[in-house]
Amino acid sequence: MTNILAEAAVGSFNSVKEIAFIVIPIMIAMEFLKDIGVLDKLTQLFSPLVKIYGMKKEAGFPLVIGIVIGLSYGAGFIFQAAEEDKLSRRDLYLLTYFLVAAHAVFEDTAIFMAFGVNGIFLFVARLGVAAFFTYLASRWIKPEDTDLEKMR
Amino acid sequence: MQRTNPVSFDTLKRGFLSGVNITWKLAKIMVPIYFVVTILKYTPIINWISKAFAPLMKLFGLPGKAAIVLVIGNCVNLYAAIGAMASLDLTLKEIYILAIMLSFCHSLIVETTIAKKIGLSAINVILVRVSLAVVSGMALNLLL
Repeated sequence: MTNILAEAAVGSFNSVKEIAFIVIPIMIAMEFLKDIGVLDKLTQLFSPLVKIYGMKKEAGFPLVIGIVIGLSYGAGFIFQAAEEDKLSRRDLYLLTYFLVAAHAVFEDTAIFMAFGVNGIFLFVARLGVAAFFTYLASRWIKPEDTDLEKMR
Repeated sequence: MQRTNPVSFDTLKRGFLSGVNITWKLAKIMVPIYFVVTILKYTPIINWISKAFAPLMKLFGLPGKAAIVLVIGNCVNLYAAIGAMASLDLTLKEIYILAIMLSFCHSLIVETTIAKKIGLSAINVILVRVSLAVVSGMALNLLL
């Protein structure tokens, strides 16, 4: 039994250590990127995609926040934009579809990188699939569609 | 909201604290799960689980015991799944498959609640995420 506990103690300590060595530098890099205004630039980068989906351009910023920081932060900005009447219900649904599939991508990718997974592969695969799925949903939910049941 | 700040020592501090915070949150959940799963490995329970889930997990090229990682990841969160994943002896290919499946589908209870607040139905969100995980897991098994 002591052996088993020792195995768990050493193993879990090493895993946490490896994760810390990857997560901390990545989060520092992320704060630098945020401060030099990368979120706004990313929003511009995503604007063609937002257009393809037929969403209002105001949807770009909550999308980027959700992808970079996380689902609950993203949702906060989605609510804010919705309250200011900047987004349609269709925009809300499409944003949510994208974000449930891909959110907090830097943090999540960093954690798996500690186990030897290629970060770029995971990052591209996750964003690519989320973008493609949202595209399919954007074809299914027509802009003039007011049938909410269909969207839910 | 202010979207840009001047880059300063404060930037470094915020990044470091955020990284430490994530590591701490992760450790709090990951370490107990790691202990539980390690102990489980030395009991017959792990064999029952392995046998019971082997046919299903085979679809994704995973051993039956990997079901523990998927269940914990979806019922608790990604950090807990990492704890289980780290304590099981898995190959890199298996870790890739679990990583992609968990990326699309994790913390179903908490995150579905958030999506529901925005207006999507719970069944819809869960169905989409589970499908993405299943399809990507099967695809990766064939590709790798």
